[in-house]
Formats: sequence, C-alpha cells, structure tokens
Amino acid sequence: MVSRPYYLLIRMSSGTEQREPDHVRTLGHEEYDPIGTAILIGIYFLILVLLWIFMYFVEFLGNGPTVVGMALTVVGLA
Amino acid sequence: MRNAYLDQFPDEARVIKAAFWSSFIALAIGGVLGLVQALHRTDVFRFIQSPDYYTVLTAHGVLLVIVFTIFFLVGTFTWAVTTSLDRGVVDTRFTWAWYIMMVIGAALAGITIFSGFLESAPSILGSELNADVLFTFYAPLEAHPFFYIGLVVFVVGSWLAGVDWFRTWLAWRRENPDERIPLPTFMVLTTTLFWYICTLGVSLSILVFLLPWSLGITESVNPLLTRTMFWYFGHAVVYFWLMPAYLMWYTMLPKFSGGKLFSDPLARVVFVLFLLLSTPLGIHHQYLDPGIAEGYKFIAMTNTMFLLLPSLLTAFTVVASMEHGARQRGGEGYLGWLKALPWRDPIFTGMALAGLMFAAAGFSGMINAGMNINYLVHNTWWVVGHFHLTVGTAVALTFMAASYWFIPQLTGKELWNRSVALGQVVLWFIGMTFMTNAMHRSGLFGLPRRTAEPQYQGFDFEPAVGTVGEINMQVALGAVILTLSLALFLLNMVMTSIGSNSESIPDNTYADTLSGAEDSPRILDNLKLWTAIAVVLVIIAYTLPLASIIDAGGLFGPDIEGFRLSTWVDPAVIESLSEVIR
Repeated sequence: MVSRPYYLLIRMSSGTEQREPDHVRTLGHEEYDPIGTAILIGIYFLILVLLWIFMYFVEFLGNGPTVVGMALTVVGLA
Repeated sequence: MRNAYLDQFPDEARVIKAAFWSSFIALAIGGVLGLVQALHRTDVFRFIQSPDYYTVLTAHGVLLVIVFTIFFLVGTFTWAVTTSLDRGVVDTRFTWAWYIMMVIGAALAGITIFSGFLESAPSILGSELNADVLFTFYAPLEAHPFFYIGLVVFVVGSWLAGVDWFRTWLAWRRENPDERIPLPTFMVLTTTLFWYICTLGVSLSILVFLLPWSLGITESVNPLLTRTMFWYFGHAVVYFWLMPAYLMWYTMLPKFSGGKLFSDPLARVVFVLFLLLSTPLGIHHQYLDPGIAEGYKFIAMTNTMFLLLPSLLTAFTVVASMEHGARQRGGEGYLGWLKALPWRDPIFTGMALAGLMFAAAGFSGMINAGMNINYLVHNTWWVVGHFHLTVGTAVALTFMAASYWFIPQLTGKELWNRSVALGQVVLWFIGMTFMTNAMHRSGLFGLPRRTAEPQYQGFDFEPAVGTVGEINMQVALGAVILTLSLALFLLNMVMTSIGSNSESIPDNTYADTLSGAEDSPRILDNLKLWTAIAVVLVIIAYTLPLASIIDAGGLFGPDIEGFRLSTWVDPAVIESLSEVIR
C-alpha cells in the first residue's frame, strides 16, 4: 500500500478549510542527520544522571543505606 | 473518492468500532472511579465508606488496565493487520466470536466486582458475590469464582484474537510467499507471541490454584506461588498495554509529524527484544517478598535493565522520525525544529505529550527496577505515580489521541471538534503532571499506596519539600482535571459518532520509512527462533525460583497435600482410596 503524506489530506473541523501543505523540502535517508534527536537524548541522559544523584541523597542520607551486599553474595557464589 | 478504513474493510470496521466502544465504556467508568478514590484518599470529599474504597480500587484497576487497554489493543491490532496486509481477516464470524467472548468475560468480572457495593450481595455457588482483590488479584485475597472465570474467558478471547491475526497473516503469506512481514503486522505478531507466553502463568495460577480454592475444592493455596505466577504475567502485561502505543508511535506518529519512520529494522529489533525480555523479569515486582532468594531477584533486575534498551531505542527512533517530519516542514537549528512540528493537531500533540511523559516514567521505572533503591519506594504512592505515567498517560493518552484518527476512519464521519480534542489532550497532560509529581514525591517519604485513609494519629509524614496538604491538593486537582479531560474526550467521541457522513476523511495509510524492511536482516522475521529463545529465557529465569517456592511452601501451602476431594466425593471412597495408597 502506498502511503500518502497525512498533511495533504487532513482537514480542519469546519470541514471546508484545507490545511496547507507545510512541506518545504524532501529529505532522503542520506541527507537527513538527526542531530536534534541526539541533543534531546543527550539532555534526557543528563536529567537521568542528575535524578540518580538526587536519589542517592534521598536514600542514603535520608533513610540510611539498604545495600544488599557484594555482587558475589547476591548471586549465591560466596 | 474516499478511501477510509470503513471503505476498505467495512465488516472489520464494525468489529473494531465495537471493541473501541467497549474500551471507552470501561475508560468512562474506571476513570470516574479514579476521581472518587483521589478525593477519598486525600480526604477532600468522602462519600463512600472506607471499606468500599477497595471495591472502587479493584474496579478502577481492572476496568482500566485490563478492559480499557486490551479492548483498545484488539481493535488497533485488527486494524494494523488488515491495513498492512491489505486484506481482510479470514472470517469475520470468528472475529465477532472472540470479541463477544471478551465482552462476556469482562461483564462477568465487572458484575462480580460491583456487587461489592451491595449491602448484602447475593450468594452464588456457596459464596458471596464480590471481588475486592485489586487488579493484582493474588492470594491471600480471595474473590468469588465468577471473577476468576470472567478473567479466564476474557483472556481466552484475547488468545483467539491472536489466532485470528496469525491466520490472517498465514493466509497473506500463502499469497505473498517471498514478501517481508509488513512492520505493523510484525509488531502485532511478536506482541501476541509474548502475550501467549506470559498469560500461560496467570491462567495456570487461576485454573489450578485460585479458582479451585475459591470454589472450595482445595483448602488453601501457597500465596507466594500465586504471587509469583501473577507477576510472571504482571510485568509482561504492561508491555502488552504499551505495544499498541508503540505501534502508533512507530507507524503513525512519523506520518502525523510530516515525515517518515527513521528505521524499519530498528523497530523490528525493538519488538524482538520485547518478545525475548518481557516475561523473564516479573520477580522485580517481588524484591520485598521473603521466600525468594536474592540471587533470583538479582537476575530479574539484570533482565529488567536489559529491557531499557528497546525503550531507549524507541526514544531515539521515534524522536528522529519526528525530527525528520519537522525538517521537511522547514524546521531548522539544533532544537528550533521542534517549533515546526504540527502542535495544533490533537493526534500529533496527544501522542507527543504521551511520549514525553513516558520519558519521565523511564526514570521512575529505573528506580523501581533497582533492587536496593526499590526498598525505599516499594508499596508507596511513588509506584502509583509511576504507572499513571506509563499506562495512565503513555498508553491512555496515545489511545485517546489515536481515537481522533480511528473513529473517523471507522465511521466515515469527521471529528466533531478538533479544538476540543486539542484542549483535551493538553488537559490530560496537565492533570497528570499535577497528580503524578505529587504521588512520586509522597512515595519518597513513605506515604503508602492501597490505603483508604493514609491519615494516622500521633504520626506525621515529613516531606523534604512542601507539605502533605499541598501534595493531597495536587492529587485532587489533578484528578479533577483528568476527569474533565475524560469527559471532553467522550463527548467528542459521541458527537463524532452521531455526526453526518463526510467525504473528506483522510486515506487509511501508515507511515512510510526512510530505511525500509529491505535493509533489515531476514532473520528478524524468524518468529519461531525468537519464540524459542524467549521460552528458554523464561525457563532459565523461573525454573529455580518456582521449584524453591514449591519446595519451601508446597503447591497448596505448607503441609497441605492438595485437593479436598470430600467436597465432591463420598468420604468412604476417599478412605478406601487412602487405604490403597498406603
């Protein structure tokens, strides 16, 4: 099935107003570089790291440590 | 000439529409009960007795995370299979059969739960009709047999839906032997496979333990065993809810953004990873259960962390597809392209906001999954905040946004009001922001979940920031906004359905790809191989823990040998049988 761009087909609620095609260029696989995505994902990772640090303070300084032990103990090897 | 789904597949459109309306009814009832709970718990407005809170909680949970999500899923998957294979189902009578079966199962479980509100519930099969067992219906909480029977009928209905999708695909494959599985169908098939694997555990739990126990055939159960079998299913089911949302994000959101899916092969890898990893990690819900050795919990944690991979792959692929659309629409700069996205389109905005909330849920999920830090938030309102971001927003908001596309496709009628729809998805986002941030924060100072009155005499919770009163107000306000949003959604659906036919419905299509199936290795389509590996992983993760639980506590509880046959058989026969055995 051939898919047609959605924006060419969508209509506003009035049923009469056709949304203008907003396409100004066509980007193929080779010329598209998702740099913006890389930046957003980078920001997300940064937030995750900061929140992890925050949780460290919440857990270890707020309620005392609850570490389960050495990795070897945990998997029953020692 | 109009080429909506209704025009292509009129018979299938009727079943899918029925499935969607079933899900909307469950959403309406379950959503209102959410408001009742929020107001009761926070002591803003109490008009039910606190014991009834648990009936409300059970109905809210079961109606929303089982009935709403799965009815919407079966509708979406039937649409995805028929649209992407460009052929109808093999026999719509079979399709109607599984749909009706699911309706009967949901109604039976629902009636049993709601009987809990009656002053004196009727006694059927020797016990009172109620099921105040919450969505997590494991022992020691016991429901009326009808609740378990209803769930089994519902799940078997969903299994038959899976059979329907598989036989439609097999029929297509006979006609197209050398073609790759189209991506939407691939997503449906892999999801269905892990649904079969995970529901096997909960079905056995119900049929072998909970139902006989509830009927009085067996005297007791091993609670840890039924808990473990529930969570064997209980985590995979969250991916079952999530996969239709993923399907929409991968196959529709790029199109609504004005672009193409960045990579078909990456999408296939993600769904294969979900098939492999959804089930062998349920024990991460049981970090605090005594009776399961820490080593098994550690393995479950490792598997859970591996499962972050497909979610992060999805974050990249879906955002990259949106960026592609934005740049084709003239977006420029490192982040300036975000402004070029179609934020006035309720379908796009709803799905994008749902994805944003899912990113936040990713963090709280990592905290839940971490074995030691889970101890901090276990059984607190943090967890409730987490799943209101996942199933309550990533899934529910995506489904509502998708409905703005689906219902015109299925009815041939134009969406009643796009502005109301846009306001609705934004309201949901705002309401959930209030509610879930407060829930998460309250979990950090230990405010418990599953509690009708978390107000204790002689004890005050001490939040690091803000007050308990402020947190309660945020939850109550959030719940009111969410209910308003829900009402607007339902209004739009009803008004659209009773509107007049329109010729200007968009064609029924899904997103094109930048890198298509031809770029992905053929082995990704080898469903037998991935299923076999998934089964092996489940065996590795669960054999020893289950053996150890049964060894320690018996199949039916410590020192209980099993069936209380005297209920059904003459005691003299038992005595003589026992003589023979001795």
